[in-house]
Amino acid sequence: MGRRGWIGAGLVAAALLVLPPLTGFHPYYLYLVSTALLFGTVATSWNLLAYAGQISFGHAAFFGLGGYGAALASLGGLSPWVAIALGGAVGAVGAAGISLASARLRGAYLALATLAYAEIWRGIAHNWTAVSGGGAGLIGIPPLPTLAWLPVDFTRGRAGSYYLSLAFLVVVIAVFGGILRSRVGLAFAAVREEEERASLLGVRALPWKVLAFALSGLFSGLAGGLYVHMVRVVEPDLVFNRYFSILPLVMATFGGLHTLLGPAMAALGLYLVSELLLHPYVPAFHQLPYALALIAVVLYLPGGLAGLLPGKRSGAA
Amino acid sequence: MSLNTLAQALVSGALLGCFYTLMALAFSMILGVTRALNLSHGDLIILGGYLGYWLWSGSGLHPLFLVPVAGAALLPLALLWHWLFHRLPEPRELSSLVLTFGLSLLLQNIMLALWRGEYRLIASESLTGSLALAGLRLNQGRLVVAAAALAVVGALYLGLTRTRWGRAIRATSLDREAAALLGINVDEATRTTFLLAFCLSGVAGVLFATLHYLYPAGGIELTLLAIVLTIWAGVGRLRSVLVAGILLGVVEALTVAWSGPRWRELVVSLMLLASLLARSGGLARGWSH
Repeated sequence: MGRRGWIGAGLVAAALLVLPPLTGFHPYYLYLVSTALLFGTVATSWNLLAYAGQISFGHAAFFGLGGYGAALASLGGLSPWVAIALGGAVGAVGAAGISLASARLRGAYLALATLAYAEIWRGIAHNWTAVSGGGAGLIGIPPLPTLAWLPVDFTRGRAGSYYLSLAFLVVVIAVFGGILRSRVGLAFAAVREEEERASLLGVRALPWKVLAFALSGLFSGLAGGLYVHMVRVVEPDLVFNRYFSILPLVMATFGGLHTLLGPAMAALGLYLVSELLLHPYVPAFHQLPYALALIAVVLYLPGGLAGLLPGKRSGAA
Repeated sequence: MSLNTLAQALVSGALLGCFYTLMALAFSMILGVTRALNLSHGDLIILGGYLGYWLWSGSGLHPLFLVPVAGAALLPLALLWHWLFHRLPEPRELSSLVLTFGLSLLLQNIMLALWRGEYRLIASESLTGSLALAGLRLNQGRLVVAAAALAVVGALYLGLTRTRWGRAIRATSLDREAAALLGINVDEATRTTFLLAFCLSGVAGVLFATLHYLYPAGGIELTLLAIVLTIWAGVGRLRSVLVAGILLGVVEALTVAWSGPRWRELVVSLMLLASLLARSGGLARGWSH
């Protein structure tokens, strides 16, 4: 990424950092931007998986598994921090599971399998009433604790989950950046570009695919766990909602497949345009940007928006 | 489960299966000639259903008269979808999934704006009531829908096997390059396929609206069912699609009879995942007519 890109990203990060006091800790705006940041995290984790050549249509499964895992652990009396970590583990295991099961599927058929997988978990959450609470879900999830060593305004309620979402997004982007520069990133790219040749050169594809799924599931699961502690309820149609599968895909492809910051930026941009500009005025059409972005990306910009910038190529770390 | 319940489920499942056959054909025909997976398939059917509902509540005509109208109403969309699909970059199957995911979302938004997410049903009095036959009670609406679906599928079968344009479509679906080399106008055949498929979707939509409540997000389940059927039957094999459709209807009816309707959606998704895993070579490999 060029210098201008980093400066732009730095400015966005600085603006996000000072936003809560500027809005007077307005609960609704903080909730909106926190959700956008979580979508940015899921979109980045979707992109990490796409970097290894695996296109998912079912990230709602990992997000929802994380959400239910964290909610159940938290309701069982564990500290929310431990509960969210457990949610992440559940998301990782769920993602590794579908990856192993569908090891022989490629491209569109793997995508369809993940789509079915997310629908299956939604069905299970609806029907396994004894554990999941059925369609009504689970309520009474405790809020995130405040941190004693920080000013209370910054860690209480919506502001607390806002800064946590922001920090989490930064961490996930940093991990993704680290992976891009490491041997793991090279292996992912090798599996993506030429699976058969990679296997001839001694890079076995399956373990790397499972690892990419598990990492992506871990981050999405953590985001799900954080989300349910933010809204403090969990329902099948909330966390296993198809939008948690569609939106990361839209954001990552629109923001630029395989780029470091594109998906998160697109998540913030698209989600806030949709919720702040369209939802109040034309509620039925507020998802229009996602639909149009997908159609436009497929037909006109195969590299995503990153393809527009001069001197950049998708896939260049 | 008593024997009578079982027989009841088998018969009503088979009737539903005739509808599923009709419903899945549009998906498999488009997959055949374009190698594109149309995730907006179910949404187009729901749109056809809403159009049928709108005409029915406005005119009070018998739903069967509205079937051709809804079929014709989707034809402009067929040209638009054809234009979009023509521009799909490689890899076609994956980019078609992403494109039609977007189109599906777009259609849902439009239907939400026009019909505000309310549940709608073509509750025509002529379709309620049931017939008693050999100890079984047959829902009259399902009988009419099954008969109409079989009639349309039969007409399509004749069209595809006995006419010049039908043979062009089948040849294009079998091997696009070879068909083009033999002088078949494959672009023309592709356009005809879209027009036919969308007409079928409109027809299926009106029939669906007499069986089930419509809501804007309801299309995904139909799409998943169509994919399952296509995996089971293969592309372009009409008789196999009919067998698979009836099988699917029976599986669904047995699930509902055994465990209640809330497991239905879960079973559909499980069947999709299991079918994909079992047929891991991909949908389009090794199929012929």
